[in-house]
Amino acid sequence: MRRLPAGGRAALTPWALLAPALLATGVVVFLPVLDALWMSLHQFVLFRPNVEPFVGLANYVTLLGDPTFWASLGRSLVWVGAGVSAQFALGFAAALLLNRRFAWRGMARALIVVPWALPSVIIGLVWTWMLDFNLGVINALLLRLGLVAHSIAWLAQPGTAMIAVILALTWQGFPFFAVTLLAGLQGIPREHYEAAAIDGAGALGSFWHVTVPGLAPVMATALLLRMIWVANSLDLIFVMTGGGPGTATETLPLYAFLKAWTGLDYGYGSALAVVLTLLLLAVVILYAARASA
Amino acid sequence: MARARAARLRLFFGTELPLLAILAFGLLPWFWMMLSALRPEADWTHLPIRFLPTRLTLSHVVSLLAGTSFLGNLLNSLVVALGTLVFGLALALPAAYAFSRFRFRGRRGFRVLFLVVNMFPVVLLILPLFVIFRRLSLLDTYPALILADATFALPFAVWLLTGYMETIPRDLDEAAMIDGATRLQTMRLVILPLALPGIVAVGIYLFIASWNEYLFALMLSGERVRTVTVALQMFIGENQVHWGLLTAGGALVALPVVVLFLAVQRHLVGGLTGGAVKG
Amino acid sequence: MKRRNLLAATAALAATPLAGPHAASPTTVRWWYHFDDPKASPAALVAAFEKANPDIRIHAESIPWGGGSDYDNRLYTTLVSGAGPDCAMVKLENLGRLMEMQALKDLGPWVDAWSGKSDIDPNIWRINTAPNGVRYYLPVQYVVLYLYVRQDWLDAVHLAPPKTFPEFLRAAQAMTEKGHWGFGLRGGPGGQDFWATFVLGGGASLTKGGLVTPAATAANAWFIDLYREWKVCPPSAPTDGFLQTINNMKAGVTGMTIHHIGSANELVAALGNRINAVPVPRGPKGEGWATFGDGSNAVFTHSRNQEAAWRWISFLSTGQNNVAFNILTGQVTVTTSGARHWTAEPERFVKATLDSLPIAKVFPAIPATAEFVSTVWPQTTQKALLGEITPAAMMQIFEKLYFG
Repeated sequence: MRRLPAGGRAALTPWALLAPALLATGVVVFLPVLDALWMSLHQFVLFRPNVEPFVGLANYVTLLGDPTFWASLGRSLVWVGAGVSAQFALGFAAALLLNRRFAWRGMARALIVVPWALPSVIIGLVWTWMLDFNLGVINALLLRLGLVAHSIAWLAQPGTAMIAVILALTWQGFPFFAVTLLAGLQGIPREHYEAAAIDGAGALGSFWHVTVPGLAPVMATALLLRMIWVANSLDLIFVMTGGGPGTATETLPLYAFLKAWTGLDYGYGSALAVVLTLLLLAVVILYAARASA
Repeated sequence: MARARAARLRLFFGTELPLLAILAFGLLPWFWMMLSALRPEADWTHLPIRFLPTRLTLSHVVSLLAGTSFLGNLLNSLVVALGTLVFGLALALPAAYAFSRFRFRGRRGFRVLFLVVNMFPVVLLILPLFVIFRRLSLLDTYPALILADATFALPFAVWLLTGYMETIPRDLDEAAMIDGATRLQTMRLVILPLALPGIVAVGIYLFIASWNEYLFALMLSGERVRTVTVALQMFIGENQVHWGLLTAGGALVALPVVVLFLAVQRHLVGGLTGGAVKG
Repeated sequence: MKRRNLLAATAALAATPLAGPHAASPTTVRWWYHFDDPKASPAALVAAFEKANPDIRIHAESIPWGGGSDYDNRLYTTLVSGAGPDCAMVKLENLGRLMEMQALKDLGPWVDAWSGKSDIDPNIWRINTAPNGVRYYLPVQYVVLYLYVRQDWLDAVHLAPPKTFPEFLRAAQAMTEKGHWGFGLRGGPGGQDFWATFVLGGGASLTKGGLVTPAATAANAWFIDLYREWKVCPPSAPTDGFLQTINNMKAGVTGMTIHHIGSANELVAALGNRINAVPVPRGPKGEGWATFGDGSNAVFTHSRNQEAAWRWISFLSTGQNNVAFNILTGQVTVTTSGARHWTAEPERFVKATLDSLPIAKVFPAIPATAEFVSTVWPQTTQKALLGEITPAAMMQIFEKLYFG
């Protein structure tokens, strides 16, 4: 690809550029995914390696009639909906503020990544500790401020347990939006703000008419990617509640994880994973269709 | 004078104070963990809760650094995360360039395909992946973790980078090519500098994705290249939770990322409007 | 393993060299272990063994426990793909699964010829023998769950440590007041051992139909009522795990809980002489259930160094070696000779452990047990504690899991 040539070789250029990424993805991700697809068509339990009959779509039929599947799907919607919106709102606000000029912003930008830089197991343990019924600092503060009359057993009640895990998720994830959106803000040409100012737009006006449309592509991509990530993430819930109390915080990927990782039922676990992937794929296709429209 | 004072107040109430609130939310749990690591053990279960430690002690930190393999594991994590950053960008940059600058058959399909493979819950891929890596004799090596971490973060990296590159006006590279620059030159001289904020953001994403990765590190590595996430998990035993080691480790594990970010954050702002916001 | 062929074929296409880990010296024994203390190292034991057996090298590798499932998955995955260790630390809850995998070497002939056999208590041998009578596991450590009590609180209400269920309830109620609860119930993972004491030790049995008899249902209703009706447990009990129940004892929030000698030193550090231990209370007919917390070593069938592996694991279960091993793990030696001079924990906790051996029991070594322990027990019990299902429905779910 010396110069921009015409014809056949130009058509090959994008493929040459894509080749390394495709090769790595093919070996490391695609082959295992194919294997998992194949697994989902078998009755495959890890501790019965010699008995794994082909069962066709039986795992999928079971799944459609499995009330735990539907219930965990519903909880996944709450988890993704509330978790991603809260992360986005907080991260967007942080990005806008960090884009302004003030003395300590270098330090502020570096420190904002702290929650994102911690392993999930640590985040889960620390929030569990802070939310502890007897020894948790959150109950202690609420009591001291007179906001509650008694300690709250946050993780032992279905409603508050969901709130607690979403709170920890928000904490973990908002720096992702802060960083990606801050980078995205740099792509908005300064002249657009100047033009808006000349047109008499105030702060709010230039936010709606310049910042939001200028950031829209990055915002949409970041939201889509984060949604996929959150929809798949389960380690915070696993550490904090294990899906409990009862099954109050058991999301779809956690259900698949428990089936495979602790139940060793890789056949059914794979079927659950395939369905989760297909559902997310539908969202991506909708997104891609809208983006190109 | 009065105008300057008003501007200062506006900066404080409009920018600094809300940001302080967000930072407080982001940092207080971390500080609380740090404070736990610096307390004597008896403080952890003292009622009523002591907000401030009775005395400060470095015993948990010393026991972490001198008594366990934590520092070596931290170093392993650093090698793997930096490797992931470099390898991931090396794969993602050309791919993102192709997606943003070429219109070719199957473009949209491949972009979606890229993302789809990332959607698959990793726990169900670990068994086949283990078999493949064993065949490749990669188990318990840095390349195994770098390859796995970078490839699984690749779809995000490619999508984000494509998004940033698409905000760079196409007439800029067309102008460069009319001036006689090759594709590679255009990419290096026009696209890369302009996309730098995005590249930095994606680099940080790759680094952190690898820094926090647990499942691959657990299954694909042994004691030789054990990373810090696995090391932290070792502090949670069957009948004992080493809270001092965990909190000390948890407080320390964020520091390399903060330092890295402090070093590169200047480049996160820049690009098209660099002059306007550079501080 | 036909299904693996697809992957093996595709992997072979991508593969270059095919050097397996077995290229190593035939006398290197790979052994996996998990110690609760990350600072503890078996290096001294390895050195002593290698000195006595110059033809064998031990490659000891610590594997993260991760609530049990991380360790198990690592083990099963490597065993299924033929890359497993020669021998490893294992637990009875996985015996059923490992037997189905045909992964375990029968140690019987070696055990019978081994001089250390008679130094291990017959109770421990009984519990560690598989349902088919074969010895796959060589015991290396154990604990028995007992009842921790706040002796000073009991003294204050003029009660002795409870021996029966009614006494237990009376003591728990007497110790419950504002901000204090008589019993630190564990509804999170691991809590099945609490449940077993009161339900399996109080009339239910793990035999077909044995979980749904009127006596079994009544015992379970009583257990759930500790939380729901008599409120002698903290409100956080449904999801409290090991860390919370022990912390609550240390903080002086709860008056009794169930655990083993592994937490004794920690609790003494916080509470001194105020903490005491006794065997768990017994059921109405004098039956009882104190969960036996086992730890064994096993040799795997795929190993090429089975004899060398046996020499290593039998070394670990012998006399003073086993004492040294258990000082590293914080559990109790399986050897009678070593137990005579045990000083790693205060005497009262050793006594409570030994006194509990006659009622020491384990869940049956069948595959359903692992699922019961990891997901079915916590999910179902939490629902019952929250009132989402009845105690009777809870027992039916367990019956269905175990006996279809």
